[in-house]
Amino acid sequence: MGPSERRHISQNLGCYGLLAPTFLLLAVFSVVPFVWAFTTSFYRYEIGGEAAWVGLTNYVEYPQDPTFAISFRNLLFLTAFSVLVHVVFPLAVARLIFALSSERARYAYRIVFLVPIVVPGVAVLMIWRGLVYGDNGIVNELLRLAGLTEVARGWLSDPDTVLWAVACIGFPFASGINILIYYAGLTAIPESVHEAAQLDGASGLGKFFRIDLPLVLSQVKLLVILTIIGAVQGFQGMFILTRGQPGFESMVPGLWMYFNAFSFQRMGYACAIGVILFLIILVLTVLNLKYFKSAEDVTAAAT
Amino acid sequence: MKKRGDIPVHGALLVFVFLTMLPFLFVINNSLRTNTEMYHSFFGLPKSLGNMARFTWYRLTGRHDAIRLRRPIPQGKAAAEVRAADLPVEQVPYGRAMARLWDDLTRGYRYSWEVLRPYMVNTLLVCLTTAGGVVLIGSISGYVFARYRFPGSKALFVAVLSLMMIPGVLTLVPSFLLVKRLGLLNSYWVLILPYVAGGQIFAIFLFKGFFEGLPEELFESARLDGAGHFALYWHIVLPLSKQIIAVVAIMNILGTWNNFLWPFITNTDPKYHVVSSGLYIMGTSQVAQNYSTMFAAYLLSSIPLLLLFIYATRPFLRGVASGAFKA
Repeated sequence: MGPSERRHISQNLGCYGLLAPTFLLLAVFSVVPFVWAFTTSFYRYEIGGEAAWVGLTNYVEYPQDPTFAISFRNLLFLTAFSVLVHVVFPLAVARLIFALSSERARYAYRIVFLVPIVVPGVAVLMIWRGLVYGDNGIVNELLRLAGLTEVARGWLSDPDTVLWAVACIGFPFASGINILIYYAGLTAIPESVHEAAQLDGASGLGKFFRIDLPLVLSQVKLLVILTIIGAVQGFQGMFILTRGQPGFESMVPGLWMYFNAFSFQRMGYACAIGVILFLIILVLTVLNLKYFKSAEDVTAAAT
Repeated sequence: MKKRGDIPVHGALLVFVFLTMLPFLFVINNSLRTNTEMYHSFFGLPKSLGNMARFTWYRLTGRHDAIRLRRPIPQGKAAAEVRAADLPVEQVPYGRAMARLWDDLTRGYRYSWEVLRPYMVNTLLVCLTTAGGVVLIGSISGYVFARYRFPGSKALFVAVLSLMMIPGVLTLVPSFLLVKRLGLLNSYWVLILPYVAGGQIFAIFLFKGFFEGLPEELFESARLDGAGHFALYWHIVLPLSKQIIAVVAIMNILGTWNNFLWPFITNTDPKYHVVSSGLYIMGTSQVAQNYSTMFAAYLLSSIPLLLLFIYATRPFLRGVASGAFKA
């Protein structure tokens, strides 16, 4: 398996030449924005205007921003909720699929739960915004059908319900890749473990918590971290669903960054918010790296 | 074969399947209904579909006089100006009745296709170019990293990988400043170039792993036959890599198809809208007043990926799985 040894610089030139497109693209579209994110964050800068050096002002300002506390409160709530449901529900479904005796049925369910992934994310969010939570949406119409007319409301425009409504999007949280990952983890558990458990008289939930759960713990950890990283970055959903409204009730840091950049033209301030989020993600990514190898194995096993 | 114990498990799983699919079932149903229908009863099946069945039954039983429809809204008048109840109901020949019902049934699809078609073409163009670019550049670089040692090869590979850790939320604003300065706003390149730049990283990682797994004897025998570097790559490596190429391509198509924010902020000219940004803008426009048009649009925009999923299930699964770890 030893790669060819090439000692002469002239022959190495070919290698560097072949790598050139990769590094050219990365230099322009990855490294430059990365560096600019930091440098811009020290300026007050509007497109078309003069950039003025303001030092750490943007970083000092953000914690005093009226949206700061509520944004991070929302982020914390949504992240915690998202982790909980995206760990529990797919694991439950994966365990159910795994319990089936027919191999064909197991494959069929895995496919069926993955089908919704073909619907563009934007469409899914718009479907939930209008068709599920809308004034004449599924939830309200069901409530009216049940005679609970006074409970019906604009779920995304009522400050009391907006966060829960956003958190519940995607219910029952059973579609997508998480099921495949857990399923792969479950199939990796040797049959002998299950048989031994059977002999010991373990069954049902007790067996699940004592045998299955500890053995898929690495998958759980991985998905927790990936879900958290996704949640910290994610504001696209909030942009489509609520734009942070009513008031700032559903604001998240990323969305405030977006508005500062593209609505208020405060590029420096927006970059500072981006850098703060990056630092949070960096810590999480370092944790994630610990599981990177397993991630690769899981990818292969998931199919 | 079937164990009795499977039945409750099937039951529980089917509840999950039903709840997962429920919003989409409503979308399909409502894409075939008019606003008036939805206003009168939210939970109901498409009326024109029911009428089609009814009229066909009348025709088969020879009751042609029962095939009656309300006269259509006269030309040049808006639907809002006319009360449907004021229009007379009259007997219509079977063929014409069916044509009109079919027209009602598919109105949402025809309207939304008119809006979506250019977005679909743009998305397809960007998706295919991006996937092609990522596969080409990613496989070449992955091949070089996998099969050659040269000064700095390890460091360069680590440098590439470390760029994968840069989160999109950090670079969104500066990337916008960059493409604006480069004069790329409102073009296909503003999508393709950053997508290829970002997408190639994970592709290199996957390709390198795959190429390292190819047996060395394969390369040796080819070299003995006098194959050059390019011939080796083109005739030996690529034909063996169809699976991994499919995975990388599908992963990138999925990402490109779903990306909303970047095309939304960089391409404000409707000429360059893609499906995701186009759907959102459709939702804020007049077209959205017609519910069936939006519902039809959600479905139409899902069809290309659905076809890809059906056509290439296994690489699709692996692509989805790999994509999940890109973050």
